[in-house]
Amino acid sequence: MNPTEIPLKSPSSVTNLSIGDVEQVERALIDASTRVPVLMFYASAVVWLLLGTLLAGFTSFKLHSPDLLSNVSFLTWGRIRPAHLNVMLYGWGSMVGMGTAIWLMARLCRTTLRHPLLLVTGGAFWNLGVLLGICGILMGDSTGYHWLEFPSYAAVTLFIAYSIIGSWAVLMFRFRRGDPIYITQWYLLAAFLWFPWMYLAAQTMLFIVPVQGVLQAAVNWWYANNLLFLWFGSLGLGTAYYMIPKVIGRPVYSYHLAAIGFWTYAFFASWTGMQRLVDGPFPAWMITASIAAMILCIIPVATVGLNHHMTMRGYFPLMRYSPTLRFTVFGAMSYTAFSVLGVVISLRSFARYLQFSEVSVAYSHLGLYAFFSMIMFGAMYYIVPRLVGREWRFASLIKIHFWASVYGIGLMTLMLLAGGMVQGMNMDNPTLPFTESTQSVLPYLRGRSLSGILMTVAHFVFAYHFLLMLLGLGRTASVPTFLNPVNPEPGEMVAH
Amino acid sequence: MKGFTPLVLGILATLAFSWLGLAYIPDLQIGHLDPQSDEEGTDIYPMPKSGMAERGRRIYVANGCFYCHSEQVRADYAASDIDRARDAAPSPPSKWGDRRSAPRDYIFDRPALLGKMRMGPDLANIGKAAPAEEEAAPAQPSPANPANPVPPGASPPVANASPPPANAAAQQNAKPAAQPSTPTEPAASPPATNASPTPTNATAQQNAKPPAQPSTSPAPAASPAQAATAPSPAASPSEFPAPYSAAWHHQHLYAPRSLNLDSDMPAYKFFYEKRRVGGEQSADAINLRGEGAPGEGWEIVPTYDAKCLVAYLMSLNQSHPLNEVKSAAPPAASPAAAKPVAK
Repeated sequence: MNPTEIPLKSPSSVTNLSIGDVEQVERALIDASTRVPVLMFYASAVVWLLLGTLLAGFTSFKLHSPDLLSNVSFLTWGRIRPAHLNVMLYGWGSMVGMGTAIWLMARLCRTTLRHPLLLVTGGAFWNLGVLLGICGILMGDSTGYHWLEFPSYAAVTLFIAYSIIGSWAVLMFRFRRGDPIYITQWYLLAAFLWFPWMYLAAQTMLFIVPVQGVLQAAVNWWYANNLLFLWFGSLGLGTAYYMIPKVIGRPVYSYHLAAIGFWTYAFFASWTGMQRLVDGPFPAWMITASIAAMILCIIPVATVGLNHHMTMRGYFPLMRYSPTLRFTVFGAMSYTAFSVLGVVISLRSFARYLQFSEVSVAYSHLGLYAFFSMIMFGAMYYIVPRLVGREWRFASLIKIHFWASVYGIGLMTLMLLAGGMVQGMNMDNPTLPFTESTQSVLPYLRGRSLSGILMTVAHFVFAYHFLLMLLGLGRTASVPTFLNPVNPEPGEMVAH
Repeated sequence: MKGFTPLVLGILATLAFSWLGLAYIPDLQIGHLDPQSDEEGTDIYPMPKSGMAERGRRIYVANGCFYCHSEQVRADYAASDIDRARDAAPSPPSKWGDRRSAPRDYIFDRPALLGKMRMGPDLANIGKAAPAEEEAAPAQPSPANPANPVPPGASPPVANASPPPANAAAQQNAKPAAQPSTPTEPAASPPATNASPTPTNATAQQNAKPPAQPSTSPAPAASPAQAATAPSPAASPSEFPAPYSAAWHHQHLYAPRSLNLDSDMPAYKFFYEKRRVGGEQSADAINLRGEGAPGEGWEIVPTYDAKCLVAYLMSLNQSHPLNEVKSAAPPAASPAAAKPVAK
């Protein structure tokens, strides 16, 4: 398939009248059909984001000030931390990812969303599941498996909710018009098929027919890593593959690269996970296989990175104006950084020091925040105006959101990387007392708390802005909100 | 890509392949291990944990202890876990472990709490670090099991130092609040701990007082529960409890920085009850001095949850040699006798 067949249109600017009126009406109809469920998913996601951010800050402060509110059982660090994590994974990340995916699916399949209220029901059940799970964790009902801490009653609710939402997304794919399947659809379809697969497999092997001993940890990390790569990663990459070409108004550089990137990603990324257990009590081949898969993941990362880069080439200045592009490109670049870090920390010679240090926290945040969440912010800046029929009110708030997020996650990554290295080196030096390793990381953890404040600001600003949009208080303008004033030069694309 | 069906099949097949490779095949390889024993079928390792310790595992999980404490010792070529001594017992050194952890160590664990982070020390062998007379207690067999796993060389168990799990569970209801015995010292040592007072800490040795007279110790009804919680003889009223004894764990959970100023562990005060001393002070009351002390007429006692948690910690012990793992130190048991069980 050659690039010209890609069903991508030139930028959908309202001022660009070269687009056929029919298509415009069609798109408006599709957007209208997705309005209620997608906004509902987004609103839930933003509420979870705020809750998760507060829990994150609390977790971070408690880590260097352990006596902070430690006398209440449900506020103890070991319960707040999984609560934060699961709110972010299943509340924020999954909700915003599924909301975006539903909208993208409808757009790319060129089909209106049928029975949107069923999706709303699914979303409500999902929220209920997350709420039950968080309450369960805080009450002391955690299961003890990383990223699967939700007790069974919450897990069942989540799965029921997912079967409604997921089957809807897949069904939409069946009703698509137009034969070519755009690369975004591959990623989204894959994500929607992978998630129930891995969730069911993990729940079965950990709770229904539990495997023996250390294999629980293996299944646990198989799930957690696949959740990171195949669920959040696919949703993020698929969204980036849509937003970047769409905003700059040119097709993806190479469709072949995209196909290679997709299949190598599916093949190699799914084999990672055991590198999180380096030199643990396992047959060495399991861990080595995952390390090899991590290294081979360089292939999809390089392909995707190259593809995005070549698509963007010559258009990077547009990041000055388009909020969507700015967030998305930052996310796509972070994806490369995240993957490279992943390879480095999985190598045995590094893992010796970094395996049990804060570096793994930095790694998770690079993936889930700098890559996935930033792309999702970008998508929301693109999609929400199309759903509410208003433009974002304040460019300044978008800028604050962007820079506070970028500096926040940047500072956090630096602090955790540097701190984790010091911690890991001290830990591997048996002549030092163990507390030396924890003491040496504390200053960095205070720095991390500082970065958390930045990110909290970013999220509350964003939530306020989003609330304005929901209330219909956005701008009624014919042009999208740009970050900086656009000089109307004839040669320059009007971008959004 | 031609269409829907091959795409879906490809998507499902890739994950199925990884599941096959990373979950299913390992299950065939190490998913059905049995405990090992010697030729006579004795010296079985590992053993299922007692009911109290299993309940303690739930509490360990519920409060997220595993986010900061790993339970795995890496091999000597992979890291220096084996060389690391515990902070509270530098001499004689209590190591994180004598050998690397192996899959067989975890066959009864659910969940297996390998851990991902070490903001606190590794706990795979924390039970081993306990003073000698307390260490033997968690390894006792359940009444149904005919095997006798007491390692040779361990001090002979005193009768009430090793309650069978059923007895321990019954202890839950028998609240030893009011104890009729005569008040002597605040932390009178129960008779069980007289067996072999061997303080492992140099400081403790200096200050170790002769144990209190056995006749003045608490009522027998209260004794069995103290197997995991009784203060060791080194815990003289004016000093810290012996490192990694049950009393030490309780004080550490209640006020970590009273034992180690550099500790970053949160306090788990909600596991403990502050109450008025009724008659004599409870034997398991935390002997806290200085800041945070409960004050005259008050005492801080562990709840049943806290006792279970400490029982769990005391049960963590991977020191038994495994045939498939090279031990750094020569095994205590005769190596010739140790053969794997035929499946």
